[in-house]
Amino acid sequence: MRKHIELNRIPKTLIILFVLCQMLVFTAFRQGDDAVIAVIANEKGAPASLTMKELKTVLQGEKQRWPDGTRISIAFMKTSTPVGSSTARKILNSSGDQLNKLWLALVFQGKAKAPTFFSTPQEMETYVNTTAGAIGIIDASFPTKARVLSIDEKKSF
Amino acid sequence: MKHIFSIPRIRGKAFFLLWGFLLVLSTQLLKAQETQIKGFVDFNSAYKSDRLNFSLGEQDLFITSDVSEHISFLGETVFKYSATSPTKFDISVERIVMNVNYYGNHNILFGKHHTPVNYWNDTYHHGRVFFPTIFRPMMFDQGIIPLHTTGVRLQGQNLGNLRFGYDLLVGNGVASDDFSDPNKGKSLTAAISCKPVDKMKVGLSYYYDEIPKGATLHHNATLKSKKDVVQQLFTGYLAYFTNGFEFLGESTLAINRNDSTGSPLSTASYGYMGYRYKKFVPYIKLEYLGLNSKEVLFANHPQHNYLVGLRYEINYLTVVKLEYAKTETHATGGAMVNAESFNFQFAIGF
Repeated sequence: MRKHIELNRIPKTLIILFVLCQMLVFTAFRQGDDAVIAVIANEKGAPASLTMKELKTVLQGEKQRWPDGTRISIAFMKTSTPVGSSTARKILNSSGDQLNKLWLALVFQGKAKAPTFFSTPQEMETYVNTTAGAIGIIDASFPTKARVLSIDEKKSF
Repeated sequence: MKHIFSIPRIRGKAFFLLWGFLLVLSTQLLKAQETQIKGFVDFNSAYKSDRLNFSLGEQDLFITSDVSEHISFLGETVFKYSATSPTKFDISVERIVMNVNYYGNHNILFGKHHTPVNYWNDTYHHGRVFFPTIFRPMMFDQGIIPLHTTGVRLQGQNLGNLRFGYDLLVGNGVASDDFSDPNKGKSLTAAISCKPVDKMKVGLSYYYDEIPKGATLHHNATLKSKKDVVQQLFTGYLAYFTNGFEFLGESTLAINRNDSTGSPLSTASYGYMGYRYKKFVPYIKLEYLGLNSKEVLFANHPQHNYLVGLRYEINYLTVVKLEYAKTETHATGGAMVNAESFNFQFAIGF
């Protein structure tokens, strides 16, 4: 005789454990799901190409001005967005929270100009196009009209 | 013949030109001026001497503003408990810094600074969210570190491959207030640092000050010496905060010379170590104040402090810390006084 498992006979603890496991697996997959990103810049300021090391130096707030003397203005997508968290992970080898804390500390110490955080690529593109010295990290699939920089000779990574 | 440019008409044109110029200028200034207000606050609890106590920490407001392409402002004001205030709270201006970025990573700063004499004082300021432990090291409470200097500071940071940094600060010494300095001589702080690898910073500093007899010092103590004192501090530090391992070690050698007691040497050192596992950081801190018995500027009782703690960073703006601390003080006559406490802190940024 075939036995049927009734849902109400499964211990609640098992159900909770199962749901937690699903959540962990989902989180693990999400963390590995990196967005492809590109670097855009205003016509004034940033050179046409940078090395990844130079880009990291800029995004860690270690440079105040571009070689032509223009003040650097940094634009990030909010770290709650996939592009924002990918920026933290791919360029700064950190989590979104660590990026936020790094910048809060730098501004608090008076050692860097606060970056601007955006929710949409359109807003970021407008900011970068209208702010001399601006540099921003954007979703590579976004059809931007801004100047795209080469990083280690790649337009996206 | 009537002049086309009669005086009233020139005045009218000039007025409109001036008005237009000011309008454009103010629009440009408003466009350039980006002002942000942020703050930090903390709540503390301690179990000490069989008694549980709750206390408010500091409410720290800080404002940053980009006034123009080259000029920016930073202000830090703290509201904190004060037993001597009629309202039991005081407002304390901790930093007012007007920064002129004149070339690359080189700046000239005017105002009231946290003296860049060591890593802690130049990095964490009053934001408990950033502190790796609940409290500052004891060397701060004992007045060994000159917390503030009002003056002019030359600063360079992240220069070259080694990311070299320098600070040269001339200002009012520890016998001054924010408005005036009774000394003819000024205090001098000279500091250098570099970052040989990512997330590591190594630094050295020298501090010089002349303190007149009877002066009231910054930490509200009165100078014990009946003669003028010349203070010199030599400090070195190593900070290394990775995604896992955390280390901060600082050591200061103080020489407070006067004509009676000569040049007694005192030392103050601490080491902090932690290891980050996701949002948890268990840590330890050891501190030793080797204060000379002939010391004229600080307390003259050597102290040890041991501390074990756990920090839980809920997010970058919210931190909970729990610590057990033990302090041994070698009192006059060789007796040793022990103090133990369990401390808790909930700190947020907003």
